[in-house]
Amino acid sequence: MAREPLSLLQGTADVLILKALAWKPMHGYGIAVWIRQRTENDLALEDAALYQALHRLERKGWVESEWGVSENNRRAKFYSIAKSGRQHLRAEVVELRRYFDALFRVLDTA
Amino acid sequence: MTVPHEEVPAARRALQLPRRTRARVRAAVDEELEFHLDMVVAELVAAGWQPADAEGEARRRFGDIAYTRDYCSAESLRRERGQHRMATFDELFRDLKFTARTLLRAPGFTLIVLFTLALGIGANTAIFSVVRSVLLEPLPFAAPDRLVRVWHANRADDVSEGAVSEPDYIDWRRENTVAESMGGFFFADGQTSVDFTGDGAPQDLKAALAAEEFFETLGTAPALGRTFTAEDQLEGRNRVVVLGYGLWESRFGSAPDIIGRRITLNGEPFSVVGVMPRNFTYPADQQLDVWIPLSYFGPDDIGRVRAARFLQVIARLKPGVTEAQFASAMNTISARLAGAYTENAGWESVTVKPMRESIVGSVQRPLSLLLGAVALVLLITCVNVASLLLTRASARERELAVRSALGAGRGRIIRQLLTESLTLALLGGALGVGLAMFALRALARSSAASLPRSIDLSLDGTVLAFTLVISLLSGLLFGLMPTLRVAGPSLEGALRGGRGALGKSGGRLRNALVIAQVALAVVLITAAGLTTKSLLRLLSVDMGFNPDNALVVSMGVPERYSTPGAALTYYESILEAIRQVPGVRAVGSVRDLPTQGNGEMRKPDPVGSTTVQPGQSPPVYLHHVSKDYFTAMEIPLKSGRFFEPTDREGAPVVFLVNETMAKLYWPGEDAVGKAIRMGPQEFRIVGVVGDVRQRGPAEAVDPQMFIHIAQNRRSHMGIVARTDGDPLALATAVRQAIWNVDKDQTISSVGTLNDLVGRAVSRPRLLASLLVLFGLLGLTLGALGIYGVLAFAVSQRRQEIGVRVALGASPRSVLGLVVGQGMKLSAAGVAIGIAGAAALAGTLQAVLFEMPSVDPATFAQTVAVLMGAALLASWLPARRALAIDPATALREE
Repeated sequence: MAREPLSLLQGTADVLILKALAWKPMHGYGIAVWIRQRTENDLALEDAALYQALHRLERKGWVESEWGVSENNRRAKFYSIAKSGRQHLRAEVVELRRYFDALFRVLDTA
Repeated sequence: MTVPHEEVPAARRALQLPRRTRARVRAAVDEELEFHLDMVVAELVAAGWQPADAEGEARRRFGDIAYTRDYCSAESLRRERGQHRMATFDELFRDLKFTARTLLRAPGFTLIVLFTLALGIGANTAIFSVVRSVLLEPLPFAAPDRLVRVWHANRADDVSEGAVSEPDYIDWRRENTVAESMGGFFFADGQTSVDFTGDGAPQDLKAALAAEEFFETLGTAPALGRTFTAEDQLEGRNRVVVLGYGLWESRFGSAPDIIGRRITLNGEPFSVVGVMPRNFTYPADQQLDVWIPLSYFGPDDIGRVRAARFLQVIARLKPGVTEAQFASAMNTISARLAGAYTENAGWESVTVKPMRESIVGSVQRPLSLLLGAVALVLLITCVNVASLLLTRASARERELAVRSALGAGRGRIIRQLLTESLTLALLGGALGVGLAMFALRALARSSAASLPRSIDLSLDGTVLAFTLVISLLSGLLFGLMPTLRVAGPSLEGALRGGRGALGKSGGRLRNALVIAQVALAVVLITAAGLTTKSLLRLLSVDMGFNPDNALVVSMGVPERYSTPGAALTYYESILEAIRQVPGVRAVGSVRDLPTQGNGEMRKPDPVGSTTVQPGQSPPVYLHHVSKDYFTAMEIPLKSGRFFEPTDREGAPVVFLVNETMAKLYWPGEDAVGKAIRMGPQEFRIVGVVGDVRQRGPAEAVDPQMFIHIAQNRRSHMGIVARTDGDPLALATAVRQAIWNVDKDQTISSVGTLNDLVGRAVSRPRLLASLLVLFGLLGLTLGALGIYGVLAFAVSQRRQEIGVRVALGASPRSVLGLVVGQGMKLSAAGVAIGIAGAAALAGTLQAVLFEMPSVDPATFAQTVAVLMGAALLASWLPARRALAIDPATALREE
């Protein structure tokens, strides 16, 4: 059953990445896999966008990074969520929920 | 403060590694992306792709790799930079936090240091802002370097800065080829004025009379409208006025449509043509209400003849013409005029001075002196704080040694201590600005009026920048002295051996600092002593009249009493009206009250003098006085008689002379009955009166002669009313008496004779009182320094003193021990200070009145004052030493 995946709404990539890292520290590839599995291919996050977002989030101080060793014994950069990142995630989720609730109140009743 | 410490790798932060290079950041991003692509390839291969195709597919799925690399590298670099900034900031913040804790832990110490610094820096800020406003601000003229003042000089009569007559001025302008323009003006502070009537209360306006090219020469653009043109000087068109900024603001509410408005001056309509900018008050020092074309006004009855010298002249040099070339060209013209006109005999040259010097020349030296004195105060302050810090550093030496042993680098410790001293300096500076604000307000209220160009004394950006700089410099200065010692190699010694190596050489440094403080204080106090003595001498000068209990009123007989008869009647009825006021004992009048002018120069030939040859007469100053002037002033009659009511028009014109003139013309003889010749006429001397210091207490007595107003008079009236009690209590009644004669009479000023005399010494008074203030500051700080060092020494030597007492030392010898150390330090400081004061004495000579700058009495008094203070400062710690209980002291270690 092959549907075209939906492209991500602006800003939701950050939320997804933070959500993934809130689970556990991961490297970039791990995050990509995690998101793909959770969304069951309904949402497409391009690898390029993922890495750009990771570096941007790191600069903002929401995620931190450390070089470690991957499952297949290679040097990999592991990301973890920072305290400020968790706060941001919580706030963003509330915002998104409010946004979609409002949207669907209209769509469902009309 | 939420600095996420975790962000900075701990090791790198601690080791202070430099930031990663751009290349290394790029390499890290590449490695990360490489890893990702490899993982995707592996995943694809596992899903059945051919390895050769999987590589391309992975890259395709990834998206724009090149852009992502650049983007990620840039983000990483930005993060690195931010972290570095954060780390530096964080470190500074921790230093500051530590400093705050340290300073708060010793609040007494901190308060003393801050207070001391505030005094030192505040005094410097205040004086600097005066200096800046008076000396450093550029003159409010275009290209002021090419502006000069020109005076007519008569070397034979010893007149170097004489005024210029109008005909001479016209010739100067016409004949010279060295000035781009030459302007003239007539202005006498407190005397040139016009009546302003019309809307509101009548007002006496301070006026300057501007001759041709006065404004053009100065080149200052008006704030509004225009300045005078040549046409404005023409008869019939000269009812025009330029307003001062202050008057425009206060009297006309800064009305933008003021140009063209008609105002009434001296009962005539004038039209306003311009308003000058706020900082332009030339030729007045502080404030000037109006400028009026000279042609409108006959300056106080003086005619436009060569003998009537009343104009002041300014000139703008042509480009390339030097001051010397200008002076020599003007000398040639003067010499020619002196040969051509008999009235100009002797007036063969000119004196030329740069504009700046002519305006601020007289205050340059006192102000520089004050600046030097406050700099000394600041130096003492720094030395004092340094020795306080050193004392504390010694007490903290173990703490510092421990921190050093725990791995704090020498640089780290120095930085910590410098943060401390700079924090103190900046806080002290901030408090100092507050103090300076108070000081400036007090200065402005008291005697700053005697300083030119001090209209707005304020703390502006320049002054604040100066304060910041001296605060930082002070912080570095007093911070570095103890810091260098503490961070020295002897730290481990201090840690190991209780009383460390610091004690001894630290003690030497402390002693040196105390000696330096005392020496600096001696210099200050000597200067304060000398100027104070000079001021006292100035104040005790016998002016020749009694300045107490005398009210003075300055006013002019209005133009409407223009016929001679009407003017005299009016003049006398004013005096009579004031005499009727209860509490007034006597009333007299003169054109120029003492310190307000010097009369008119004449050169009478004596009839039958043995010393003065005809044609060789020295200048004598003529004053027009009312009958009772001498009685009211309490100027004594030495021989002959005062004026009588019979000395009137129609009767033979007679003169009184002062003692100086009598001695000059007829030495050893009675001048009464002698005669002088002016022009073709001979006049009889009927009396000799006592000498008066007309030009002020510091000036010599001039030969004077007096004529009765009923025989010849001027319109300006300097009225003096001798009163029974407080003269100012009668001010209202006296004003009312004048207005009862003519309700439209304007009054220029009402005050006391004492104030007039006091104003003449206001600059020396300002200088002396400020120097005394600074001297006291220096003395207090010096005494504090001695006290601090001795108190510290006593606390350090508790055991030693305990042992001495235990071994039977008498209280006397313990006292001697401590006090002796204090006196030894002070004596060394005093010796150096006296030598310094003697070396610097020359700079004071110019501001001292009739006394030597190396005055043994003053020096001896300074020594006594300082040693007294030192004794007191040593006594207190000595008493503490006496209170040491040997048993406890010995048990302590």
